[in-house]
Amino acid sequence: MGNLVQAELRKTTTTGLWWGLLIPTAVLALGWGLATGLFGKFFVDFASTSDLEEVSDFLGVTPDQWKVTLFGMARAINISTIFPMVFGAMAISGEINRRTITTTFLTAPSRMHAMLAKMLVYVLWGAIYGLAIMLFLGIGVVLTSSSGQLPDAGGWAMLALACVLSSILMTMFGVGVGALIPNVAGTIVLLLLYFLVIENVLHFVLAYLEVPTVIGFLPNGSINGLTGSVAVDLFLSSAGVVPPEVEDVLRAIAGAGGALDWWWSGLVFLGWAGVVFAGGWAVTQSKDIT
Amino acid sequence: MHDGSGLVVAQNLTKRFGSVTAVQNLSFTVSPGSVTGFLGPNGAGKTTTLRMLLGLVKPTAGLATINGRPFHQLGQPGRVVGAVLEAQGFHPSRSARNHLRVYAAAIGVPDAQADQVLGLVGLGTAADRKVGGFSLGMKQRLALATALLGDPQVLVLDEPANGLDPEGIAWLRTFLQSYARMGRTVLISSHLLAEVEQTVDQVVIISRGQTMFYGPLDQLRQQQQRRVLVQPSDVNALATALRAEGVQTIEQLPDGRLAVSDVDSKHVADSALRAGVSIYGIQEEQVDLERLFFQLTSGQYAGYAPAPNPYQQQGGWA
Ligand SMILES: Nc1ncnc2c1ncn2[C@@H]1O[C@H](COP(=O)(O)OP(=O)(O)OP(=O)(O)O)[C@@H](O)[C@H]1O
Ligand SMILES: [Mg+2]
Repeated sequence: MGNLVQAELRKTTTTGLWWGLLIPTAVLALGWGLATGLFGKFFVDFASTSDLEEVSDFLGVTPDQWKVTLFGMARAINISTIFPMVFGAMAISGEINRRTITTTFLTAPSRMHAMLAKMLVYVLWGAIYGLAIMLFLGIGVVLTSSSGQLPDAGGWAMLALACVLSSILMTMFGVGVGALIPNVAGTIVLLLLYFLVIENVLHFVLAYLEVPTVIGFLPNGSINGLTGSVAVDLFLSSAGVVPPEVEDVLRAIAGAGGALDWWWSGLVFLGWAGVVFAGGWAVTQSKDIT
Repeated sequence: MHDGSGLVVAQNLTKRFGSVTAVQNLSFTVSPGSVTGFLGPNGAGKTTTLRMLLGLVKPTAGLATINGRPFHQLGQPGRVVGAVLEAQGFHPSRSARNHLRVYAAAIGVPDAQADQVLGLVGLGTAADRKVGGFSLGMKQRLALATALLGDPQVLVLDEPANGLDPEGIAWLRTFLQSYARMGRTVLISSHLLAEVEQTVDQVVIISRGQTMFYGPLDQLRQQQQRRVLVQPSDVNALATALRAEGVQTIEQLPDGRLAVSDVDSKHVADSALRAGVSIYGIQEEQVDLERLFFQLTSGQYAGYAPAPNPYQQQGGWA
């Protein structure tokens, strides 16, 4: 297995795809970070000068101490991790497309070995992407925010953990889908459509039907729930007593409407990634490579 | 684990793709120590059969084994069998050396092996070039280098001479023969008997997914027929005389000559003399291997001769 993992690692480092996707990821995270800081400052200024004192009473702290950047960062992570997901999606579909899968299967004890080795390597890449996202996002936010709106050290650590976990899980999900739909263009179009359009419409419908809890069990709902719930928890921990209605609004802002606790959300999404990977494995196992 | 015998066995292999039967009830054994040619016209099922041997295509029925085991039970398959299936399985932006290092890692051989096989196939100077820029022949050589990485006991090559220059073909020929002489197994497919005639000792000839001939090449040669082509003064008289002597395989050729099989020219000339027929010309003809191959395989997708153009000017090209 170690041999195969090394082979898969070499496959990823000997072509330019990893940095070709990492650059836009970093740019997006940085840009989103900068915008988050600017928008947070604008919002807090507005809240401080207007008569939103009732809200600040709710939250128990003055607006300049609201850690509003947390929401923007949660959203930034949700969006940026689309890139590592696409990177993962190319893992198997790309090999089928390029026909290198033949040699890959000829040099592995079994197809399952080859796929597991690939998955391990892409977990590593998911973590690398996650760290890069957190780094550039952090730089962007710090550059444009005032310190009152930034999380404390523990908050940063928690957010970084959520970001890396989220990135790993998204990458794994991509690997599974790429095996299930062995066509690069098809895989990527489907993933983007689903994560950017289809499920958002679905969330809207579910909220309208007043069954928002279902959202937390959907793929995008659960992965957003992971980062969103961390953000909301961190925000609330620095605020006072918050009524449930306000908490619901905050959750929606963080992209975690209807979501479970962060670790439950992570487990639900891991389940989705597992289901998709099992499906991809079944397809790949019985496939004729002609 | 496998038995190390070097035997490649196809047992009643059948593969259907939907309604297309690519391979039907195919059986043969390839032994170590010799080069076996796997021959058949386009679409005969060669590639499909080789891919079944290598566990890439799942047979509809039958069993394929290498060293007594199905491919997926070989453990470290890269060290047992090396394969060239097509000159396409490369990432265009990966260099030749990096391509080989990826699979060297997978097989578990040292990286130095990558440079060694590159040198062996004559790609040493192109090692750091991206494979996307390689010519067909260079890709074919790189595919062979990949197959040799694990120093395998069995080599399976699907039309490896495709795109090779004459020098490359000559090199491949001697390389495969010496590889087999080391006691290893070499199975090589081609749609041209002439292409591998000088390389192979055994042949498996298939057509439409079925075995037509399976055995030593020498045995195939012995099946070659000799014909006597004769131009007599009286065709019918000679034919009658020969039939009276029990010679049945007589054929009239379009040019007016007779083709008589299974006898020598002396026999024909003596008969003609006894029948009082003059002979204007006589010639013995060997049916070559290639024609035998045609007869055995009778092209599944044989094209038609172009229809004569009715408007063609008289003497236009003559
Ligand atoms: N994936 C596939 N789906 C459907 N039919 C297939 C598939 N692969 C091969 N076939 C069919 O199986 C038959 C045998 O094909 P195969 O490629 O094995 O022939 P071949 O002997 O290698 O021919 P060639 O000399 O042209 O390489 C053909 O009729 C082909 O169309
Ligand atoms: Mg073929």
